[in-house]
Amino acid sequence: MKKGRLIAVIAAALVIVVLLVVYFNNGSGSSASSKKQVTMWVHFSKTDPEGKAMQKNITAFNKDNKSGYQATVQYIPRSGAGGGYEDKINAALNSNSLPDVLTLDGPNTAAYAKSKIIQPVGKYITNKSDILPSIISQGTYQGKLYAVGYSESGVGIFYNKKMFKEAGIPDSEPPTLTKTWNWDQFTSIARRLHEHFKQPAIDMQLADHSEWAIYSFSPFLWSAGGNITNPSGTKATGIFDSKANESAFAFLQNLVKNGYTTISPIKAGFQTGKYPMMMSGSWTIQELNSSYKNIDYGILPYPVSPKTNKLVSPTGSWQYAMSASTKKTAAAGALVNFLTQTNQMYRTSMANTVLPARKSVSRRMLPQVTAPMRFLIQQNLKSGHSRPVLVNYPQVSRTFADTVTKSTYYRQNPNIASLLRSEAKTIQSYLK
Amino acid sequence: MRNPRKFAYTIITTILITLIALLFLFPLVWMIASSLKPEAQIYNNMDNIKAFLPSFHINQWGTAYQSLLARFNILGFIINSLIYAFGVTAGSIIVNSLAGYGFSKFTFKGQKFVFGLLIATLVIPGETIIIQKFQIVKLLGIINTPWAVIFPSIAAPFYIYMFKNFFDAISSDVIESAEMEGAGTFTIYWKIMMPMAKPAMATVGTLSFIGSWNDYIWPLMVLTDSNKFPLQVAITNINSTAPVYMNQVMAILTISTIPLIIVYLFFQRYLVQGLGVAGNGDK
Amino acid sequence: MNNILAKRNNQAWWYIFPALLLLALFLFIPALLSIYYSLTNYYMLAPQDRQFIGLLNYINLLKDPVFWTSVKNIGQFVLFVMPIQVGTALGLALIVNRKRPWNTFFKVSFFAPVVVSLAVTSVLWLYILNPDQGLLNNLLVKLGLHAQPLLTSPKQAMFAIIGLSAWQGAGYQMLIFLAGLQNIPTELYEAARIDGASKWERFLHITLPLLKPTSLMILTTTFIDAFKLIIQPMVMTQGGPLNSTITPVYYIYRTGFTDRQLGYASAMSVIYGFAIILFTLIQRKITGAGGDQNA
Repeated sequence: MKKGRLIAVIAAALVIVVLLVVYFNNGSGSSASSKKQVTMWVHFSKTDPEGKAMQKNITAFNKDNKSGYQATVQYIPRSGAGGGYEDKINAALNSNSLPDVLTLDGPNTAAYAKSKIIQPVGKYITNKSDILPSIISQGTYQGKLYAVGYSESGVGIFYNKKMFKEAGIPDSEPPTLTKTWNWDQFTSIARRLHEHFKQPAIDMQLADHSEWAIYSFSPFLWSAGGNITNPSGTKATGIFDSKANESAFAFLQNLVKNGYTTISPIKAGFQTGKYPMMMSGSWTIQELNSSYKNIDYGILPYPVSPKTNKLVSPTGSWQYAMSASTKKTAAAGALVNFLTQTNQMYRTSMANTVLPARKSVSRRMLPQVTAPMRFLIQQNLKSGHSRPVLVNYPQVSRTFADTVTKSTYYRQNPNIASLLRSEAKTIQSYLK
Repeated sequence: MRNPRKFAYTIITTILITLIALLFLFPLVWMIASSLKPEAQIYNNMDNIKAFLPSFHINQWGTAYQSLLARFNILGFIINSLIYAFGVTAGSIIVNSLAGYGFSKFTFKGQKFVFGLLIATLVIPGETIIIQKFQIVKLLGIINTPWAVIFPSIAAPFYIYMFKNFFDAISSDVIESAEMEGAGTFTIYWKIMMPMAKPAMATVGTLSFIGSWNDYIWPLMVLTDSNKFPLQVAITNINSTAPVYMNQVMAILTISTIPLIIVYLFFQRYLVQGLGVAGNGDK
Repeated sequence: MNNILAKRNNQAWWYIFPALLLLALFLFIPALLSIYYSLTNYYMLAPQDRQFIGLLNYINLLKDPVFWTSVKNIGQFVLFVMPIQVGTALGLALIVNRKRPWNTFFKVSFFAPVVVSLAVTSVLWLYILNPDQGLLNNLLVKLGLHAQPLLTSPKQAMFAIIGLSAWQGAGYQMLIFLAGLQNIPTELYEAARIDGASKWERFLHITLPLLKPTSLMILTTTFIDAFKLIIQPMVMTQGGPLNSTITPVYYIYRTGFTDRQLGYASAMSVIYGFAIILFTLIQRKITGAGGDQNA
């Protein structure tokens, strides 16, 4: 064979395979076996508490429903960055092999709905008024309910009671849900703790540059009356760089500047009694109760803007949705509805120590859970605010995290107003 | 006979080298020590030497491991991991040595071009073509089979290169005399070349084993049945399901690292020879 | 050329076929698909809406400041990590090349960071490098120096990653150097010793020249691998602070998977792939491996 011919043959063979791949990826729908068999993918492992609760729920579904639907679940644990499970969804999309029902994280709703990966599920869901408004809003895109969160999450200010006492802060001073604290009061307590312990007063997990930033810090914006975009999600310039947002980022910047919090917290500093406060979520309760039993702690509400005194706290969770490609809408809808009813949600929330997504579940859980958990449930009912539903959410979330990071590098970015103006432009570029 | 100055010199250098060795070894020590203590202790010991010592109460040593084994079917995951790792290792040794043989002991049209192409593929970052790779696997219809995990990890330009260099060094006389006796090319490969290339086999085998054992995203993407997942999936799950228990993370990492250390200890002598020949390629 | 089996040369394809087939399926074709995708607006969530958009992705890429920042960062990384890592590896190889007690222990220790999972090492290093209470700063303060911001500083973060990458990878190259050292005939050293050459002279005139082929191979592979840096910044800094540790491969991965812009990410990987090939060729010219008849 001549060299030129050889190259030509190889090139031709490769091109043919490429074309085949492109062609086959555009064809073929999902296989429709029996109309009553539904498959579902979930992002957790079969063996952790959430997986065990799911197995019980599925057994109940297969036994209870009158139409004879049978559900099978595939457990696909996700990795730290949300990868794993989502990589798998992406891969399935590219080969048209999605299941009938899947789980998705709250912020993915808009992107999935817009790309027609999932279809509206609202008409299958009963007893909707019982579901928390934050759950409805995170699952709604262009006025239609696409996904239903089955639990909630929440964040509060964990505080070490003993360290508060040592620093001379009386029991009566820390705030409650009815008697909130504003940023100035929060800063002053942080100052006293800082002066007493010669340590940062609070770990706000500023070293986490991922989803945590927008999730936990945007409530400060909302409390001040600001927002990330306009309600329809089309405009950020003039919104993200508002005076209200400026005040929130300045609050954060001052905490770092004065050493009350740190951009490089030590690991488990609060859990081991080195920091008196920590901003964190319900998962930390579980960790404290199992591994750090000698920390006597409580949870305080989100600090509020001194201008508005409005309490806002973050929410959001994973949800169930029906894939757009499924032909078994009745069965899939029945499954989503079943799993989001009070009994099933109660089972999941209790097993996994997460916050409830229905008012009725809250009522059942409140008498049975520990005081910190009760606090987060109540804060959630009162002030939960879901994250924006945007198609390019990952980019917006990252820009938000960048903004938080930049504002904490106060020497490089002393001027919050100009920082927000340039970041607003960046966000705007993602809102097409 | 011993010269006291020389003796002192040996002592001092040995101590210095031990210190350097500790600089490289301490993550391993920390990992194992941390798996043998309660979580709170890991953080409390962080700023002093106790970080590298296990708990002083021997009865605490096993707790992390016990809760791990209770939470996960670790043994099942290990078996899966072994299947994939051995599959990749065996395939890698065979396929790459065959290709190395083809490039080393034959001359054919387009050889330079194809070999150059192989070397050029060294620069493709695997992370960026994972979706495209998935599309191929899907097209082949091997999703959710062990083949989907094993096949893509077998052929590797670097290993082909290594085998080629090894075979290049094997003298022509041996082969010529075998040819005289009427041995076919495959017999020469199997009976003469491979036995002489043991270090290369050990090197490629060890490196493929480590690579396959540590692979996470790819198996997760192509397997849909969680009973087929390898150990790395369990690790990630333990490492990312809040709350994360540091001592359990360290325990599972210890479990998954030990086999690699053993494999390495076993083959390290060959590894030096094998890599050496690869390094001596540009003669 | 080793042309013993000349009569049977037509059989060669049978031997390289399995490897070629697998490489074609799982490396060449995916790479070619990347080229095709780079000319489309492929959004991962909506593969069916994929459209041909010509060179638009490439034009946008030229205007993307983050991409250029990542290029600058990887330049810095490669420039520093090469001498540090290869130098460390050579030093370690020289240590374990001499017969001394516990040699196997030393060899295993130096290789340990290669084997231990990056999850462990990154968690541990995050702690060591913590500016407020990390071991490194504790040490600096004890030595009378100032505590450093390390990973939280846009100026120092990349250097911290350079340091720990060199630490992590040196053990592997050490093995290759060790093999090179063991291939040097001991008679050469004996002869030089008789001629009265000092230790340093022997190293300079025997060891280094004879290690040249090994060193070239190590330089090339380290060079290529350095360009693929992703895991350390992904795990330890997420590319921050202020984009100071974002690398091209990490940016490609993030654009393709987190942002789901597979078309744009493909364009980046195509450009970047060709750039690495180009740089590798230049590097081999400079280090004198250009005359190699095979590669």
